[in-house]
Amino acid sequence: MRTLQRWLDGTGDLRALVPLRIAAGPLVLLHLRPFLADAIDGRIYADTFWQPYASWYPELPRAGYVALLWVTAVAAVALSAGLFTRVVAIVTAAGVAYNLFLSQTHFHHNRAFLLIVLIGLAVLPVGRWGSVDAMLRRRAVPAPAPLWPLGLLRFEVAVAYWASGLSKLIDGDWWGGLVTRLRIEQYGDLAASRGVPDWMLEIAGNAGFHWWFAKVVVLTELAIGVGLFWRRTRLVSVWLAIGFHLAIEAFADVQVFSLAGLAALVIWVTPRSGDRILTVHTGNRSARRLAAAVRWLDWTGRFTVTTAGGTGRPAATLIDRPGADGTPVIRTGRDAVVMVLRRLPVTFWAAALVPIRTERRRPPSSTGEVRAAASVEGVGG
Amino acid sequence: MTPRRGGRWWARRVVVGLVVVAQFALVARAYWADHDVFGFQMFPESSRWQAEIVRVDAGGTRHDVRDPWPGGYRWGDLVTARGLGDPFSARHADTGLASTTAFLRASLDWVARNTPDDPETLYLEAVVTLWHNGRGPQTEVYRSVTRPEAGAG
Repeated sequence: MRTLQRWLDGTGDLRALVPLRIAAGPLVLLHLRPFLADAIDGRIYADTFWQPYASWYPELPRAGYVALLWVTAVAAVALSAGLFTRVVAIVTAAGVAYNLFLSQTHFHHNRAFLLIVLIGLAVLPVGRWGSVDAMLRRRAVPAPAPLWPLGLLRFEVAVAYWASGLSKLIDGDWWGGLVTRLRIEQYGDLAASRGVPDWMLEIAGNAGFHWWFAKVVVLTELAIGVGLFWRRTRLVSVWLAIGFHLAIEAFADVQVFSLAGLAALVIWVTPRSGDRILTVHTGNRSARRLAAAVRWLDWTGRFTVTTAGGTGRPAATLIDRPGADGTPVIRTGRDAVVMVLRRLPVTFWAAALVPIRTERRRPPSSTGEVRAAASVEGVGG
Repeated sequence: MTPRRGGRWWARRVVVGLVVVAQFALVARAYWADHDVFGFQMFPESSRWQAEIVRVDAGGTRHDVRDPWPGGYRWGDLVTARGLGDPFSARHADTGLASTTAFLRASLDWVARNTPDDPETLYLEAVVTLWHNGRGPQTEVYRSVTRPEAGAG
């Protein structure tokens, strides 16, 4: 209950959503591509079979509809750049929504998922970091943002996984493996053309395999949809989600779902940024490289990177978030590096397999650094 | 001390509550509706379907829609969405049989209403063969609305 209240009334730092905002532009262009291609050829939805949801839904004249598609595409590009972010995010979401709800034939789950992400980006202040807007405003520390829209976005994104898993769990044909077996029979050629090796396709053709495989698929979807909500299971769920989306991309044509699903994983990053302090020794070349790499690859803003000189200092020191006892966790040397790699978007999936060997804790309130790390403790999850 | 519960405090809870309830309702609706909208039942079936579609004129003569059509219409030009453009050979029902057949029925009506240069066709009819997750076949017949233009030529 207390966690729910923190999400409803609390504020946080949404810098981690920047990669999603940047990805949104290309995703929208990919989504709009068939509509724009038709428009270039002089065709729109109304020239062939279409089916409105409701007779009262407003229809634009042909030129207006085509203009709306192009305005949405331009707005999506501006959204990626972070130019007039709030306005273009709303325009992008509204344009995609209008087109999606224009005809029932336009609806696909991947488009619904994309629209949910776009509405989230329109509601959340995602232009405060890594954007043209931020460069123009030159405001050093953006104000914290309300967290409840992020909480709703998390709920909506998780629904796509658990609702799908639940529907398969209670469907005997799915749970028993019949659906996956028939699907592999139908789409084996597509998978082969996308580089799935022959030995894998041979295994996938076995009926006994599918009895187990279907259960793995169903439980994976449920594990992702539920596990993402808890801190202890989140990393495993993100791992599962990456494998899940890559597998879907190989075996099915899901338009933008895989890319949108992967990009949307950043919403599960804890909405605090810069609260892990990495201090590298100025005299150590490798440590300086690590600092440079972190500055380039820390897309979700997890780290504050500082430098220090002097003798007797380790090459790298990481003051992590407080552990269960409230004391910031200190890691040095190799463990610090592994922990840093575990928190960078491009390396976490591999670094998660490398064990952390030791853990050292510093007594509380001994240094300014520890106080800084402790002071950013806020909404978790 | 309990913080004051102002309008924004309540508005947040109302918005969040409405979205959550609406989403649960859409998930539940997907279990019986033809079209699963925001219910996220992805890859629901591995079912297949195939249809023979004919135009029936006022005299009862049946014309395959693949044959020349008064007004120069072609089925594949009129209906392109949801895999309905080429229904003549067996194909996967991407969003399940209920959704596919609902779209097919709607497409028959749409074609009947949007082919004004055809003075001959009274209605369209589809004889549909369905294989639900490999079981079947099961045959169903769908008929479009009747066209008032029939016999006008």
